[in-house]
Amino acid sequence: MDKGRISSIQMGMMMYLTILATAILTVPSITAKYAKKDLWLSPIWASIIGFFTVIIVIQLSKRFPRQSFFQICEHTIGTLATKLLGFLYFTFFLIASGQITRTYAEFIKVFFIKTPVSVIMITMLLLSAFTVIAGIEVIGRVAQLFFPIFVFSVFIIIFLLLPQLEPSNIFPILENGLLPSLKGAIIPQIWFGELFLIVFLLPSLSDSKGMKWGILTVLLILVTFIITNITVLFILNQNTEFYIYPFLSATQLVNLGDFIESIEPIIIAIWILGTFIKITVFYYVTILTTAQWLKLSDYKPIVWPIGILIVEVSFWAVPNLMVNNHIDITVFPFLFPIMQTFIPLFILGMAVIRKKSKSLEI
Amino acid sequence: MVRRVKSLLRRRKGIQPQIDSLDDHGSLSNKMDENIDYFRSVYANCSDVVIRPFLIGGMYQAYFIYIDGLANVEETDEQILQPLMNATVKNTNEIMNMLENKIPVTNIQKFTSLSKCIDSISTGNPLLLSDGINTGYSFCLAKWEKRGIGEPSAEVGIKGPREGFTETINVSTSQLRRIIKSPSLKMQELFIGQLTKTKIVISYIEGIANHNLIEEVHNRLERIKIDGILESGYIEELIEDNPYSPFPQILSTERPDVVCSNLLEGRVAILVDGTPFVIVVPTTFFSLLQSHEDYYQRFLVSTAVRWLRYLFLVISLLLPSLYVAILTFHHEMVPTALLLSVAASREAVPFPALVEALMMEVTFEALREAGIRLPKQVGAAVSIVGALVIGQAAVQAGLVSAPMVIVVAITGIASFMIPRYAMGIGFRILRFPIIFLAGALGLLGVMMGIIAIIVHLSTIRSFGVPYLSPLAPLKGTELKDTLIRSPWWKLNTRPHLTGDYNKHRQSPGLKPDPTKGGE
Repeated sequence: MDKGRISSIQMGMMMYLTILATAILTVPSITAKYAKKDLWLSPIWASIIGFFTVIIVIQLSKRFPRQSFFQICEHTIGTLATKLLGFLYFTFFLIASGQITRTYAEFIKVFFIKTPVSVIMITMLLLSAFTVIAGIEVIGRVAQLFFPIFVFSVFIIIFLLLPQLEPSNIFPILENGLLPSLKGAIIPQIWFGELFLIVFLLPSLSDSKGMKWGILTVLLILVTFIITNITVLFILNQNTEFYIYPFLSATQLVNLGDFIESIEPIIIAIWILGTFIKITVFYYVTILTTAQWLKLSDYKPIVWPIGILIVEVSFWAVPNLMVNNHIDITVFPFLFPIMQTFIPLFILGMAVIRKKSKSLEI
Repeated sequence: MVRRVKSLLRRRKGIQPQIDSLDDHGSLSNKMDENIDYFRSVYANCSDVVIRPFLIGGMYQAYFIYIDGLANVEETDEQILQPLMNATVKNTNEIMNMLENKIPVTNIQKFTSLSKCIDSISTGNPLLLSDGINTGYSFCLAKWEKRGIGEPSAEVGIKGPREGFTETINVSTSQLRRIIKSPSLKMQELFIGQLTKTKIVISYIEGIANHNLIEEVHNRLERIKIDGILESGYIEELIEDNPYSPFPQILSTERPDVVCSNLLEGRVAILVDGTPFVIVVPTTFFSLLQSHEDYYQRFLVSTAVRWLRYLFLVISLLLPSLYVAILTFHHEMVPTALLLSVAASREAVPFPALVEALMMEVTFEALREAGIRLPKQVGAAVSIVGALVIGQAAVQAGLVSAPMVIVVAITGIASFMIPRYAMGIGFRILRFPIIFLAGALGLLGVMMGIIAIIVHLSTIRSFGVPYLSPLAPLKGTELKDTLIRSPWWKLNTRPHLTGDYNKHRQSPGLKPDPTKGGE
C-alpha cells in the first residue's frame, strides 16, 4: 500500500505526540475529578493498558510479519468476520478522527471566538490530507522534527513554573486508599490504548526494534504524564478538577521578573504542532483501514473523500461540547479499550489456538 | 474554423518544432572542390569564418578553415603554414607523413566525417584540408579572450582562498585538479544543447562517490534535449527532483574549495562551460545553510555563527507575520508598556497592520532588486531614496509606523544572513503567504504556514537524499556537523548520502595534545 519506510524511533515519536498532544491538556482535569490529590498515581495504573496493548500488537506482528491488521484477521477469524470487523474499525476510526478534530477546533475557538469551527477544522485537515498523501515517511519525519520541540517546550514551561510550585500539595498521599487513583485511571487509559495504532505502522518499519521502542514510548508517555500531573497538582492543588485545561491555566502563572509572562500562546502553538501529528496519524490510519478493508490497490484517491467525511462526522458525532464531555466519560472508556485492546487480544488468542490446533493435527 | 481544429489536432499529436541539426552530413570526399563547396555553403553568411587557400610545397591545393578570433593565428602562421608552404613534397602520402610527424603542434586530430570537422572548427581549432586526402586535420590551437581568475563576487568571506571559477571550463577543471591531485578525481565530459553544444563535465571522486548516484546524474543529464544551455541554472531546473518547490535542491557555487569539499564528501559536481557557477548534487537543507567559512574558522566561533544563522532564518521567515498576528489578534501577548508604545506610534497610521506590512515588505523587495540590477553609479541614489524617503519620510508622514520599519529592516538583514542566495530568496517568497495567513487567522495561521512548510520540506528529496537529513530522518552521528560544527579532529566520518559509502575521512585520535608531540 504505502511503500515508505520509517524507523521504530520515528514510530515511537509519532505515538508519543499522538497520545500526549491532547492528553496533556484535558486529562489532568478529568483525572483529578476522581483521583483528587492522587492524580499523579493514576497514569501508572492507566499505563498497564498501554504496555498490555503494545505487547499484544507486537506479538501479533511477530506471528504475521509484514502483514496488515486485516490480513492477520483473515488468517485467524476468516474472511466474513474480517469484513464485519473492518466496517467496525472504519466507523470507529472515523468517529475517533472526527472527535479529535472537533476537540482541537473547540480548544482553538476559545482564543478565536469569531472564527467558525468549520474553518479551523478544514484548515487543519487540509494540511493533514497533504501529509497523508505524502505517505508514512513524511509523517514520520515531521513527527521527528516536532518531537524535540514539543518535549523541550513542555519541560521549559515546567522549569519556568518552578518558583510557583508548592510540593507540600502532594500530601496526604492515598488519603482514601487506592480506589480514587484507580478510578482516575479509567479515562487516561483511553490514551494509552491508542498505542494500538502501531499495528498499522509496524508493517512499514525498516528495522526490528518495534518492541523496544513501543515499550519505551509507553514509559516516556507515563513519565511525561506523571510530571505534568504533579506540576498541575503542585500549582492548582485541589482546584485542578475545576479547570478545563489545567496545564494551560498553570502556565498563565509563569512570571519571571515581569519579563517572561503570558506565555500561553506558546503552549497553544506547541499544542497545534502535536495535534497536527495526532490528527494526521488518525487520518492516515482511517485511510489505511478503509483501503485495507476494501482491498484497494492505492489509498490516495480516498484521502479527500474521507477528509470531507471526517469534517461531517465531527459535527454528527459531537453536536456540542457538552455532549462531547458526556461521551468522553460514558462511552469512550468502554469503546476505546474494546476496539484497541480487547479485539486485538481476542485475535491474538485465536491465532495462538489456531496454531496449537494446527500443530496438533500434524 | 476547420483550420483551427486541424491545427489543434496537429498539436495534440505532439508535433514539435524540429531543431536544425547538423548531425549527419556524410564524410569528406577525395575531391577538394566538393569539400570546399560544402564548407562554403555551410558557412554562407558567416563573416567570421575564414577560408584560406594555399599551396603545400607550391603544388598541392590546400585550405585552412578557422574562425576569426577563436584560433591562434600567430601560432598557425608560424608552426603550420610556414613549414607546409616551404616543404618539398612529391605525393599525398608525403603530405600526410609530414603533417603527422613534422608539424610542432601538441594535439592534432584527424576527422573524416563532415560534422566532426564542423564541431572542431566551432570550438576554435583551425582545420586543414588538402587535395587528394579525404581527412581533415584539426590542430588544437584554439585561443580566445577570457576573463582572468578573480575573487568570487557572490560568495565573499574573510578567511579562505580568494579565487573563484571563471567562465572557461578547462580553467575550472584545472582549478579542481590543482586542489585534488589524486587520479581518482574523475572528469567525464558530455555535450548538451543542439545549437550551443555546451561542454558539461561531471566530476567526482572514485571510491567515495556512490556509483548509483553517478549513474543517476548521467541519466538525468542525458535526458536533456534542448537548443542551448547558457548557464548552470538551466541544468539545475532540468534535473532537480521537485520542480515546484521554492527551495533550491542543488548547491550552486563559484568557489573551487566548496566544490572540492563536497567532492570529498562523496557528492558529484557538474561544471558547465560558459558560467562560473558549478552545481553540486545531492544537497540538503542544512548544507545550504552552511558557509565555506564555517570550516576555516575555529569551531566554537562557527558553532555560534551557525546558531545565529538558524535564529535569523526563523526571524526572516516569521517576524513580519508575527508582528501582524499579534497586532491584529493577540494584544494580550505583549507586555502592556510595549503595547502602549506600539499603539501610540500606530495611532496616525491609516492602514491595518496587514496592509502596512505587505506595503513595506514589497517596497523592501523592490529596493533590493533595484539595488542588484542598477549600475554602480546609480546605486547610491537608490540607497538614499530607500533610507530617507521610505524610512524617515514615510514614518513622519504617518503612512507607516516606526516599529513596522524596524521589523522590515530586521527581516531584510536576517534574510541576507543565509549564505546561499537561492535559499534566502526561497524564504523571502514564503514570507508573503505567511503574512496573509497571519492577517487572516492570527497565530493559528502562522502555525499552519509553519506546518505546511515543514511538511513540504520533509517531502523533498535531492537525488535520493531526504532534504531535511540528518535531522529528519535522524542520523545521530551527523548532527555533529549540523547543529554544531565539531572540531576537525572529531569529524572522522563522511556524511552518509545514499547506498554504500566510504565512511572514514581521517584516522581517529587526531585531537591535538602537548603529550602527543613525540618528545
